[in-house]
Amino acid sequence: MKRKTVFTVFGLLIVLSMLLSACAKAEGPAVPATEAPATEAPAVEAPAVSAKDTFIFGRGADSVQLDPALVTDGESFRVTGQVLDSLYRFDQGTTNPVPGLAECTANADATVWSCKLREGVKFHDGTDFNADAVIFNFERWRFTSNPYHYPSQVFEYYEAMWGGFDDASIITEVKKIDDHNIEFILSTPMAPFLANLAMDMFAISSPAAIEKAGEAYGTPTGGCVGTGPYKFVSWEEGTEIKLVANEDYWGEKPKVKNVIVRVIPDDSARFLALKAGDIDALEQAVVEDLATAEKDPTLQILTRPGLNTSYLAFNFKIKEFQDIKVREAVAHAIDIKGLISNFFGKYGTVAKTLLPPGMLGFNDKIDYWKYDPELSKSLLADAGFPNGLSEVTVAEDVKDADGNVVYTAGQVIPLRLYYMPVTRFYFPAAKEVGEGIAANLTAAGFNVELYLEGDWPTYLGARRNGLLMGLYLLGWGGDNGDPDNFTGYFFNSAAEPIKREGWYQNAKLAALVQEAVTLPDPAARAKLYAEADQLMHDDVMRIWLGHNNTPLILSAKVLGYVPQPVGAENFEYVSFSN
Amino acid sequence: MGKYILRRLISVIPTLIGVTLVIFLFQRLIPGDPAVAMLGEHASEDNVARIRQQLGLDRPAFLDRDALVEGNLPGFFDSQYVRYFNRLLHFDLGDSIHRRIPVAATLKERFPATLELALLSMFFALLIGIPVGIASASRRNSWLDGTTMIGSLLGVSIPIFWLGIMEIMLFSVFLRWLPSGSRLSPGVSITPITNLLLLDSLLTGNFAGFWDAFKHIIMPAVALATIPTAIITRMTRSSMLDVLQEDYIRTAEAKGLAERVVLYRHALKNAFLPVITIIGIQAGSLLAGAVLTETIFSWPGIGKWVYDSILGRDYPIVQGVTLLIAIIFLLVNLLVDVSYAVLDPRISYD
Repeated sequence: MKRKTVFTVFGLLIVLSMLLSACAKAEGPAVPATEAPATEAPAVEAPAVSAKDTFIFGRGADSVQLDPALVTDGESFRVTGQVLDSLYRFDQGTTNPVPGLAECTANADATVWSCKLREGVKFHDGTDFNADAVIFNFERWRFTSNPYHYPSQVFEYYEAMWGGFDDASIITEVKKIDDHNIEFILSTPMAPFLANLAMDMFAISSPAAIEKAGEAYGTPTGGCVGTGPYKFVSWEEGTEIKLVANEDYWGEKPKVKNVIVRVIPDDSARFLALKAGDIDALEQAVVEDLATAEKDPTLQILTRPGLNTSYLAFNFKIKEFQDIKVREAVAHAIDIKGLISNFFGKYGTVAKTLLPPGMLGFNDKIDYWKYDPELSKSLLADAGFPNGLSEVTVAEDVKDADGNVVYTAGQVIPLRLYYMPVTRFYFPAAKEVGEGIAANLTAAGFNVELYLEGDWPTYLGARRNGLLMGLYLLGWGGDNGDPDNFTGYFFNSAAEPIKREGWYQNAKLAALVQEAVTLPDPAARAKLYAEADQLMHDDVMRIWLGHNNTPLILSAKVLGYVPQPVGAENFEYVSFSN
Repeated sequence: MGKYILRRLISVIPTLIGVTLVIFLFQRLIPGDPAVAMLGEHASEDNVARIRQQLGLDRPAFLDRDALVEGNLPGFFDSQYVRYFNRLLHFDLGDSIHRRIPVAATLKERFPATLELALLSMFFALLIGIPVGIASASRRNSWLDGTTMIGSLLGVSIPIFWLGIMEIMLFSVFLRWLPSGSRLSPGVSITPITNLLLLDSLLTGNFAGFWDAFKHIIMPAVALATIPTAIITRMTRSSMLDVLQEDYIRTAEAKGLAERVVLYRHALKNAFLPVITIIGIQAGSLLAGAVLTETIFSWPGIGKWVYDSILGRDYPIVQGVTLLIAIIFLLVNLLVDVSYAVLDPRISYD
């Protein structure tokens, strides 16, 4: 020992480190030795790529799953939208459904839709796209007893858009006429039928791939197999998903051979990666980076139309909020225009209805709420609170998911404003907007406690159980451009108090949206949805805040990228200039 | 020594059981339901309930008192923790709630990335920290000592995320020398052996792959190394200063031994025990604390993964990663204790 020098100490440290790594790797339960690498593609071999023929999109979070029927997150659809086709698709840059893998016509009462399937189309695994494939997919989604409708899986969107599973499904049958002709039989007329078909979550997967992968279909090990312009190559979880062009694509052939969808979690690092040329496009940029990008000739900014609405909601289990004068006082207390201008920036517009402008049924006759703190104080005084409002009373017992009473009837609690703990595409600065609203309300006589309920799952859980006991911020982004996906989603069951919607109840509103979804005539539907928005406005049941256009920053060399208001953007049109 | 190591290894078992209990309890204390986190804003109550049942979340966390009252003993033990522990005994970390793939498989993929980053960072920290600490102590109050102290103070003070962003701005955006993130460039592949890419590329003679992997890892490794470098430098310096004032050092100097011999043969060995302790702590912290570095540099390790899993209430991932890190901490501690005996003959565990 005495003769050893400092170098032996270094040597020892390195050996210790190696031993440590060896110990860690040998730790039994963590590492099954025989597992295949999780990133292996099911069928397609990764080609050698070069920067010129590769489009790299940077994003903040990974996809959850690549079986679109199972997920609700946009990051999953961003990828599945390239690999899988739906029977219909949204036309470039619009919410108009146009034929994709099928072209459908309805009978007179719109309960039978006859669809001619595109012929000569093959899935990426070489199997045929035909009537059997479509029926396989719809039956898998619909029937809870289907062998590929696994108990661990939730086909959330099928249930939401088609009325439910099994016998509750509005699609009562998908009938095969021949290999390339099918009929959808509906239990009731459904106006947004084609828009629903065009949604990414109803894209058609290869039955053979599902049968082969089983429950692993859509996972990093299972990948996904469709008929789309790109084929799935690999998914390195949390890092990147690689796709390669489908040379046999039935539609416009992809211009760029490879696509990489890369996760760069930090907003600033993502922007710098774009500036460094390591990626070609990104979403979710901070305001400062957007300002930089606007001045940078090597970059371009495109905006996705804001088919979304952010809002301030009331919890109707609060006795004071059951008085419309108090709700109106809140509406007049908030400087919505100022808040949107300051915190949504130039990409936001002030909302006055749940439906964004341009959507079927948008009611332009409704007035914006006038910002008038004095009027607000006066309304509050009329409601019996001349000295303002700082505490509120629980009207009825409120229970959690396990049935435990969390708030007791008659309990007095502080007046809270719950703000979202995250940034969402419909709400770029929830905390800052919350602070602004709290300041506005204070100036109008409401003493509000700005409240952080917890992180996002906690917030969603509390909202689901009607436990955000006060005012709360949230929003909604449309899935298919149809008003039923907005007003219908929220309030079609409002004949009874809806727990997740702050216990709001309005039977007339429920009846309106239930009728509107069945009418084949767009003009008649528009009238009903406009009426529904007027009803909500007159009842001051929520304060609509803003619609947010989502900015995307791309290299100036990127051509052909068209932001889609709903659904995945189509990467097959993307190319590069020199 | 052998018996001591065996005793320590055996004592790891109850410690790990304690760790599993604590992790399990703390996760359940955080509000928020994994089923809600998984299903998102659209979820219906029926689906949330079904998934809760599927995941076993409808069972009590530890023990079912109601079942005991009913005299149902198997039901009493049929709890979330007992199910989890039973799986652990079968070397099964469970499946990710969100992705439904085995946690162990992803851990196998991602842990080497964090390990490689941590090892290189520790290598940089030792390469710089120890020599600079020694030089600083041997020239106390010199310009070198002053610079070292200021530098090490900056090292522990600079936020990693800021340093990382600055590195990217300088080396990726302006100079275009280094890639801004990830482990390899598109089109570059290295045949996996250990999944430590630098090592694998050397083992397979893939020098182009080595260079590409090195260009990717250098910035995150430097960012991650700043704090341990600063701490090791300061600890080496202060420990050396203490030892350099000992009588035997004066004796050695009086005997006319060369400064290098006095410093490295006589002083360093005795000054090294506290430094080893710090290195041990830092080694564990590097693995556990790489979240920020991995986030900024899109490094596909376990740090960001476990952070996202905490937010998504993906219990099996959090449990699996925490358990692995706990095992590593325990082993590092053991190695540190053993190294005491190797370095200092006065210490014996027999």
